[in-house]
Amino acid sequence: MLGITDYLWRLLPGNPILLRVVEAGGKRRRDLLIRCGYLGLLVFIVLFSLLSSGDQTGQSLSKLAATSASLFQRLSFLQLALVALLSPIFTAGAITQEKDNQTYDILLATPLTNGQIVLGSLLSRIFFVAALLISGVPIFSITQVFGGVAIRSIVLSFLIAAATAFVTGALAMAIAVFKVGTRRTIFSFYLFIVLYLVGIYLLDQLDYFHPFIDSKDISHRGTGWLTGIHPFLALRSVFNDKTYLPPSFGDLPENLKWWPLGFYLSSPASFYVSFMFFLSFVLVAPSIVLLRKLAQSTGTVKTWILQKLRISKGNSTRKPRGVWNNPIAWREAKTKASAARASVTRYGFMTGGIIGAIILVVLHATEIAPAQYISSGSYDAKANTLIVYGSSKPPVVYNVRPETKVVYAKDRPDKTGVDNVETSLGSLTGRLAVETLVTATNDALGLRAVGKRTFISGITVRNISRRLDTLDARQWLLGAVVLEFSVILLIVTNAAASAVTREKEDGTLDLLLTTPITSRYYIWGKLNGLVGFVLPLVAVPVISVLIFVIVDIFRMLSSHGDAFAWVVFPEAILVMPGTLVIVAAFASILGMQMSLRCRTTVMAVMSSIGIVVGACFGLGFCGFNAVSSHQLEAMGLVFGSFSPFTLMTVLLNPWKYATDIYADGANELRNRVVVFAFGWGAVAAYAGIVWAMYKSMVKNFDMTIRKQSR
Amino acid sequence: MTPVVKTVNLTKRYGTLVALSNLNLEILPGDCFGFIGPNGAGKTTTMKILATLLQPTWGEARICDYVVGYQSRQIRPLIGYVPDYFGAYEDMVVQEYLEFFAAAYNINGSNRVKLVGDVLELTDLAYKRDAFVDGLSRGMKQRLSIARVLLHDPKLLLLDEPAGNLDPRARIELRELLKTLRGMGKTIIISSHILPELQDLCNTVGIIERGELIYSGPWTDIVKKAKTGTILHVTVADQQVQAGALLAQDPSIESVNSSNGFLEILIKPGVEDYSFVPARLIQAGYRLTMMREEEVNLETAFMRLTKGLVQ
Repeated sequence: MLGITDYLWRLLPGNPILLRVVEAGGKRRRDLLIRCGYLGLLVFIVLFSLLSSGDQTGQSLSKLAATSASLFQRLSFLQLALVALLSPIFTAGAITQEKDNQTYDILLATPLTNGQIVLGSLLSRIFFVAALLISGVPIFSITQVFGGVAIRSIVLSFLIAAATAFVTGALAMAIAVFKVGTRRTIFSFYLFIVLYLVGIYLLDQLDYFHPFIDSKDISHRGTGWLTGIHPFLALRSVFNDKTYLPPSFGDLPENLKWWPLGFYLSSPASFYVSFMFFLSFVLVAPSIVLLRKLAQSTGTVKTWILQKLRISKGNSTRKPRGVWNNPIAWREAKTKASAARASVTRYGFMTGGIIGAIILVVLHATEIAPAQYISSGSYDAKANTLIVYGSSKPPVVYNVRPETKVVYAKDRPDKTGVDNVETSLGSLTGRLAVETLVTATNDALGLRAVGKRTFISGITVRNISRRLDTLDARQWLLGAVVLEFSVILLIVTNAAASAVTREKEDGTLDLLLTTPITSRYYIWGKLNGLVGFVLPLVAVPVISVLIFVIVDIFRMLSSHGDAFAWVVFPEAILVMPGTLVIVAAFASILGMQMSLRCRTTVMAVMSSIGIVVGACFGLGFCGFNAVSSHQLEAMGLVFGSFSPFTLMTVLLNPWKYATDIYADGANELRNRVVVFAFGWGAVAAYAGIVWAMYKSMVKNFDMTIRKQSR
Repeated sequence: MTPVVKTVNLTKRYGTLVALSNLNLEILPGDCFGFIGPNGAGKTTTMKILATLLQPTWGEARICDYVVGYQSRQIRPLIGYVPDYFGAYEDMVVQEYLEFFAAAYNINGSNRVKLVGDVLELTDLAYKRDAFVDGLSRGMKQRLSIARVLLHDPKLLLLDEPAGNLDPRARIELRELLKTLRGMGKTIIISSHILPELQDLCNTVGIIERGELIYSGPWTDIVKKAKTGTILHVTVADQQVQAGALLAQDPSIESVNSSNGFLEILIKPGVEDYSFVPARLIQAGYRLTMMREEEVNLETAFMRLTKGLVQ
């Protein structure tokens, strides 16, 4: 019995690996600063929310409760965002750190059990995030003073954040133990987390994933198929937000009530927490069982897979390639791009992106043949007739009368319903599907005519449905571009952040510094190579949009004066390349700055990606608030243009995300000019920042390197 | 003759730690200078300053009359630096590795290809031109490092422990290669812990301890300096202890110690003729089986001159 107690004690509370980190972590200045910054941010948000909640003197209890609920939402989202940002930073190091410090073998040679090593490493990585979460409890408790927030919601909010941190750590540990990790894997790890968070969130915006849409009010979509597997969506379902409530278990159709599907759909937050803890266990358990066994194997799982897939042959020789006259640029561009896995990923990304765009265009261009339709020449005003074509029937000529009721059912831009606009047949242009057709014979109408004639007494038309309608096409295109841009930013940040540190770690930097290569030449070469490496990737979202614009132009030319609406404004093609390239350059120079300052690749990659993700998140948050603001109008577009992701949004789908600004069609041209002008203004501003950072880096390069040289 | 390397009061501090203190050194063209000292003595720091990788805290270092730190751009084409580790790029083969560094020295076009071929021949690595650098053995990597620094035909080679961790065969091959380079008129500064090899290779040496240069000059002189008096090793067939006691009474003998099965006899300074030693032993009836004078080599000199102090 004493043995089991002792084992359990040494497994967790007395785990020497955990104790080392806990004891050292409390004393580190950096950790203290991060903790203070985190708590300072929470306190600031609390004060800001309370002070800006309106008249402070005579607030009713219900208003205070509403303020408290809104405060809780903001704090919870912020907490989760920080956990999602920090967890990969603190846990990714597990992938290589032990190997880098060469302590892994020493640990394995001690009497520590597999469980102690795996759990000690895992918990020591999560310790810092857990400490952050616990330190935020007193601030969250302020919301309890005013009421309006259920204790259950607070507990769930914390559990979601904890489960997210835990599963991230467990994944990093599994990668490390199963030897699929190298320094490069840290980047893939980040990429996977970002893709997962952004991708699932974007997919959730589509109606396909919401089976319980309120038929009366389409904006009340409720939770969907993806809510229970995404931390932010799960958290949103906790807030009692009427537009995002899960259905109660009783309301679920009988075929969806079986366990665990019923639990998943009716309690997505609870499901998320339990599933992520279970998944963590599933990831950690094999690591504990196989730790030493896997450590003994000489090959790696990755090499085995690459060789099985014939991506890598495991050869020890290769035909030499020609080296450029600027060797630094050559190394950055060629060796990165030519590594077997990198080539597959790179070309996979490019072909995937372009094929995806073509599929979107094809789906958008393919009409679903309506049963009946009219075209521009259908209505003959002189003869008062209307030809109604049938997809599988011959055309029918109907008579119309001045009092014939014509309704044009127009989809709302935000897809929240249909507006029925009464119009006349003469004002209709283009091909339109006939939704309803009410006819009557002249006899029934009491009209005298030669022979029997059929008159139309009422007709409802709407645009012909497409396999992918315009609104969805815009949304998919925007989603694809945002996703591609996120991936490009991560790739370029990772490549830049490892550019100098890898030279330091490989010991090649000193060799280069003893050659006549100057710091300017070196940095310029690196940037040059990075741009050469990333330009083909940047072309993917631009080409995707270009395909839509070209198709739009052909549609416009063949519309013969019929109503025409752009799927994507053509100026997007002019603004996007500049924005993508300069933001990629910004990420590159930032990554290189960190690479110069940090001693290890792991630290440089983690900190640069943290900064880039944080900056995009912060700018995006401000930008989206600006463009969706009721008061700011065009100024919202001006501010929004300086946030790269907001700019993409207002270029590709402004009707959905800047609804108020674009609601008044009269100002569309003005808005487009503002976005175009300030989009390029933002490019110029970023170019200035990049240039200043480049100059400062060149100036301080020697000094920084020499300071690190021992 | 203008020295290739000249340092005047060269000092380097890392915070409160003095890594190098007032180092004064002069190395002439064609010299092969062996830099010896315990770990942490300041050899690598000196090498890094001369390789323009570190800035001295004070003092001055000149290479071919160019001042390190101020005229580094002029110095870099004149030096070839081999650090005590091998800097390898991933996913590069031998030929690419050399072409990469040749391009860094602004050697381009067909000249580069020819040059790379030549140094591969010289370092006996031509058959490995398609091999990945990462997969080379330690000895081959070291030869590749030497090949790298020969690309731009430098006047001065700075070799920091090039033979460290090499097996005997690789060490001998490297030594032969360095001899060839010396024969080509290169000035070489080499640090190593394998002193017999330095003795074989170098004409001058410098001994450094705790950042201070204890000695610098021809190695033959250092041996003389380390020689505190004549030491004889003597063995007799039996009664060795008694024989030792007999000799200890002689006024020309400083001391007699018995070690490793022989008598270690230290003759007093100024006594050049030690033929009296065998004469006395034979006269006393001892059967002399061996007598030789102890040879002072670089290793012995190093041990005598340094105190084993580290920082």
